[in-house]
Amino acid sequence: MKAKELLRELQDFYILSLRGLAGIVRKPFYYKDTIEQMDYAGAGSFVIIILVSFFVGMALSLQLSAELSRLGLKMYTGMIVGISVVRELGPVVAAIVFAGRVGAGMASELGSMVIGHQVDTFRVFGVDPVKKLVTPRIISSIIMLPALTIIGDAFALLGGYYITVFVSQQSGTFYWSSISDILIFENVFAGSVKPFVFGYLIACICCYIGLSTKGGAIGLRQSTTRAVVASIIAIIVTDFMLTRILLYVLGFSV
Amino acid sequence: MIKFDNVSFSYSARQILKDVSFSVGLNEQVAILGGSGEGKTTILKLIMGLLRPDSGRIMIDDEDITDKTEEELRDVRLKFSIVFQEGALFDSLSVKENVAFCLREYTAKSEDEIDIKVRELLRTVGVEHALELMPDELSGGMHRRVAIARSLAAFEPRMFLYDEPTSGLDPVNADNICRLILELSKDGMAEEIKRGFMIVTHKVSDAMKVAERFIFIKDGMIVFDGNREGFLNADITDIRIFLSELNFCLGGGADV
Repeated sequence: MKAKELLRELQDFYILSLRGLAGIVRKPFYYKDTIEQMDYAGAGSFVIIILVSFFVGMALSLQLSAELSRLGLKMYTGMIVGISVVRELGPVVAAIVFAGRVGAGMASELGSMVIGHQVDTFRVFGVDPVKKLVTPRIISSIIMLPALTIIGDAFALLGGYYITVFVSQQSGTFYWSSISDILIFENVFAGSVKPFVFGYLIACICCYIGLSTKGGAIGLRQSTTRAVVASIIAIIVTDFMLTRILLYVLGFSV
Repeated sequence: MIKFDNVSFSYSARQILKDVSFSVGLNEQVAILGGSGEGKTTILKLIMGLLRPDSGRIMIDDEDITDKTEEELRDVRLKFSIVFQEGALFDSLSVKENVAFCLREYTAKSEDEIDIKVRELLRTVGVEHALELMPDELSGGMHRRVAIARSLAAFEPRMFLYDEPTSGLDPVNADNICRLILELSKDGMAEEIKRGFMIVTHKVSDAMKVAERFIFIKDGMIVFDGNREGFLNADITDIRIFLSELNFCLGGGADV
């Protein structure tokens, strides 16, 4: 891709992201569309997030128990599982699952609306497609992804508990007291900021790529793939940058 | 009056229209013909301001719309009603909700008034029975009819723009759509043209049924612009190939 085209795409992406965000406070408001999107993004992803998080928690706990027992530090399993899940793994895993399910759905739905001239029809009727299509998806993502992350964190900790108690034969009470010890403001805040940013990014990237769809079925396939890949890369890179910033702001020494 | 003045347009590196110029009155019955990918649909999108030309000017009623913003284009778009290929109905809305879309968006009508208006419009286009159906439950012909009803819902267009309204339809349904196009352009039984239309198609038999003026596009340029008689006698190879479809149907074989 030529540098000029890339710059134009970036500019269009930023404009769409800002217009989508501005739509939250500018009339008209599309409540019904927003509720529909929240239902699709939130309720629809609930079971997948629970399942994935539970297994991630179990796998993490297994790895830590195996390694820490060699060092005689098995009692720290709960603490490390807690910090890893709340600060890092929970938000990232939930965001990746969200991008794969909801983001792909956004890109393919909007792409098919572009190909079927439905987006042009909105413009003909004087309806701003960004307000009608992008803003409800941004709102639903920045509300539902944090909610799903909290639920995912809880089930990841539960998975960790299952392994720690029934496989690694440690005390369940001690596991939960270790978890409750690490649920201090710094850790919870560090894990809470990320889902809002990830949700906004996923919605903007997937809507932008969906609305830029060209061609027929192949164009739609390319858009959906691009949307998921770009979202996952954005999540991982942004996670690193946010972690660096948050550790600095919250006074952790590295 | 729609006026194209040396309009050129390209998608990426591919030039679609090359210095196209023509004028069409809003009450004319025009067919734009040409092969696939020749820029016929692009002309409709340029008229509606959905695309911007690379060069040249587009005037609607002596108003230059070439550089207008989306907000400014809104009044211009109200003069037209475009029916896209396949209908472009909103997938997630039922037929009733599709037709009611603009009524809910732009009028203060009550739900009862909207219901009456929607039924009336669907009756006009002959698909009242499809009121509660979803778009994926409709046939191709019904799709087009509902789209036409939706385009009439909230606005009083001065001209219809039809993008391949009969493509993919069987001859009976295609004929019904052609009749509907003519009915909507005329003022009841008075036979007086109330609204013009521009129909984009590659089916010359359908164009012959409805249009009085024919514009033929080849390689992004207008190679013919004239009336029915001129079109039938045009000595242009591509037009002869298109017309061979008619000759073949009439039993005359290909006359290229």
